[in-house]
Amino acid sequence: MLLGACLAAAPAAAAGEVVRVTLPNGFTVLVRENPVAPVVAVSLMVRTGTRWERRETAGISNFLHAVMVKGTARHGGAELAEAIAALGGKLSATGDIDYSEIRASGLARFWRELLSLTAELALEPRLAPDEVGPERDWLLSRIQKRRDSAPARAFDELYTALYGPHPYALPVLGTRESLERLDHAALVAAYRAAYQPQRMILAVSGQVSAPEVLAEARRLFGGTPRGPGTPDPVLPAPAPAARRVPVQMPAQQTQILVAGLGPSLDDPDHAAVKVLSTVLGGGMAGRLFAELRDRRGLAYTATSYYDPVRGPAALVLYLGTAPENAVRAEAALREEVERIRREAVGPDELRRAKGYLLGRYAMDRRTNERQAWYLAFYEIEGVGQDYPERYRTAVEAVTADDVLRVARRYLAAPTTIVVGPR
Amino acid sequence: MRAARRRVLAGFLALALAGCAAAGGRAPSALPRPVRTVLPNGVVVIAQEHRASDVVAAQLWVRIGGRDESADELGLSHYLEHMLFKGTPTRPPGSIDRLLEGRGGTSNAFTSYDYTHYDVVVPASDLRVGLELLADIGVHASFPPDELESEKKVVFEEMNLVQDDPERFLRRRLTELAYEPHPYGRPILGTPALIRALTRPRLARYYAKHYVPRNMVLVVVGAVTPDEVLALARASFGGLGGAPDGRPTLAPPPALDRSRRADVQRPEKQAYLGLAWRAAAVSSTDVYAVDLLTYILGDSPSSRLNQELRERLRLVSAIEAGYIASQQAGIVTVTARLDGANLDRAEAAILDVVRRVRERGVTEAERQRALVTAESSYAFDIETAEGLARSYGQAETTWTLEDELAYLGRLRQITAAQIQDAARTYLGDAEYARVRFVPR
Repeated sequence: MLLGACLAAAPAAAAGEVVRVTLPNGFTVLVRENPVAPVVAVSLMVRTGTRWERRETAGISNFLHAVMVKGTARHGGAELAEAIAALGGKLSATGDIDYSEIRASGLARFWRELLSLTAELALEPRLAPDEVGPERDWLLSRIQKRRDSAPARAFDELYTALYGPHPYALPVLGTRESLERLDHAALVAAYRAAYQPQRMILAVSGQVSAPEVLAEARRLFGGTPRGPGTPDPVLPAPAPAARRVPVQMPAQQTQILVAGLGPSLDDPDHAAVKVLSTVLGGGMAGRLFAELRDRRGLAYTATSYYDPVRGPAALVLYLGTAPENAVRAEAALREEVERIRREAVGPDELRRAKGYLLGRYAMDRRTNERQAWYLAFYEIEGVGQDYPERYRTAVEAVTADDVLRVARRYLAAPTTIVVGPR
Repeated sequence: MRAARRRVLAGFLALALAGCAAAGGRAPSALPRPVRTVLPNGVVVIAQEHRASDVVAAQLWVRIGGRDESADELGLSHYLEHMLFKGTPTRPPGSIDRLLEGRGGTSNAFTSYDYTHYDVVVPASDLRVGLELLADIGVHASFPPDELESEKKVVFEEMNLVQDDPERFLRRRLTELAYEPHPYGRPILGTPALIRALTRPRLARYYAKHYVPRNMVLVVVGAVTPDEVLALARASFGGLGGAPDGRPTLAPPPALDRSRRADVQRPEKQAYLGLAWRAAAVSSTDVYAVDLLTYILGDSPSSRLNQELRERLRLVSAIEAGYIASQQAGIVTVTARLDGANLDRAEAAILDVVRRVRERGVTEAERQRALVTAESSYAFDIETAEGLARSYGQAETTWTLEDELAYLGRLRQITAAQIQDAARTYLGDAEYARVRFVPR
């Protein structure tokens, strides 16, 4: 009865539009019909991740998801892998900073089977005790791989120094110490706390019919009762080191990272910091690439990162360079930071940065996998599905004064990490 | 590097991006067929309408790459790739990047053994800008002396970067070891000594010799009609002159045996293992069976190598098989990340998996899964204009566009017995090259 009534009310999506429905149990479904290619992508996000972790539980969300993909109540690990491959599909699950995600994609004609396997994984994971040890070993090998990789190591060291007591300091993979302590019972408890309908968001994009997907999602996820809720953590304020931290490791290249804490995704300054990041390190006409790489040959990698998160976001300027150039490269990078805090950017440079930023943003949202991710991500971050349009308007309105102001504010006391051979 | 036609080693866990065509040699209903035209000066133009978004991908593919270099020219193809976007007499250094990026566009370039390509993605309304740019850098690159010198440091950095990335470095070493002294085994970045000694006249000569209309393929896919593309292509590329030398046919690569073994001491705590067998070149009719064989061996979590070595024996953290089908030769590779103590057992287990395929063949279910995976790879490739353009450019430079369009249909004709035959033909017990990265 209820199901029929809701179905009738479900709006049919025009191509490109998003249909959004929250089921009575709090489970949210988003669907975007996209006729471009005969494929479908699914992102199921759940509110758990680094944000909810502490030093002693670091990596538990990702660990949980690694064990989840090893089988469901109905399919063992090998069977599940074969079932997915038979759909021309991929299925994976990982922890992240503000969420954890089950991702699935495959040929559109198998959308129903793909959704069904996604639901099985989310609602009936086997979480077999004998999978915990091997998956821990696998994750420890990946932690080792990150430690052996100079760029990955540099970013891990940076987040530690930049966030201090805030959980964003913790690596998504966790640490050797935390993973060795986390056992099967801890993973089961983490699963129960996270996988409650009101904490879950399902986004589907592809060559599908939105009403059909909604009806199927309702059938698969609508019957799970709303959970007791898990309180949102009260997070300690980040405490950036605001100093230079050298780290020694054997490598052909030296990694230099200079970073400040920027605003969160929903902060009014977000768009201006995006433009600031793009002026400095976006594309091949960005200052780091044009000045430090093209003009002076001081680096191969010369870029910046400012990825949106719910809490304070890292604005990172990044160079990879030969050890013999490291001192000059670091000085040149500092000079770029000083320059952008001293002088307003010119109109051409500002136009280039905005064009590049918005062009990349539009291009990044073309594939169904990215579309599904964006739909779920904006929902999980609570910024609304009109965010892309608001973001575009906000970027266009950014002035040279805004860039100067946010550069002075967010790059006032940067934290520097230098990783390389002695 | 994406040297493969079908299958690339894009990282241990990443799936291969297969560029292939739809069922029965037809493009799917949503897409019209690409239109191929040869201009009087020899430039091949391939155009396809693709209205997934308001952008257009324009790619200049040049039939020149690492394999065309003589011993004292190593790295020149790649160096050109770095220098072309630097400027022309009418475009000062830096202006090309600003032009494209200010319009929300992007550029990229890539060097392989068989080809070099230059890609831009721009709003469809800027197609003229994109094509004029590609034609200009295609024959008028000016190699500003300061830029040429400072770019040397960038290339040295790139050499360092590759060495620091064990997976990339392993693939590079494995390819080199599997082919040496054949041209497909040369260092694509060149050597530090050659790059240090590189002069502007040397580079300009190499450019003038090879960047000629008959070596060029222009691929345009996006929210434009083939007629619009052709008119713009004639205007920008039709007037280019110059004749090619003709590309030499390469001698066949050497046979592989137990002498091709290399152990490299590395700073990482984990070990890496790479095996490479000689396999069919892209021109061989065996490519279809080898493609399916590689899918079944090591493409996904359900593949034989994954299930046996990672899930059952727990000998590796990650394992993958790949097929790099170049124009005149090919290799099948298996690469893995593992604990150094397991190196010997893992290699033996890989050989066991391969031996079982040789002796007992593959199942019909495996064949079906491989086919649907190939179909799916193609379907995901056509989501973006540049993905489709890349598969056409690669096909035109190393294969043919017709073969590309017929690919999936032919793949479906391959039987389980033919897949087993491919394993018997190519994947011998001893006929492979092996590179191991061993922790210090």
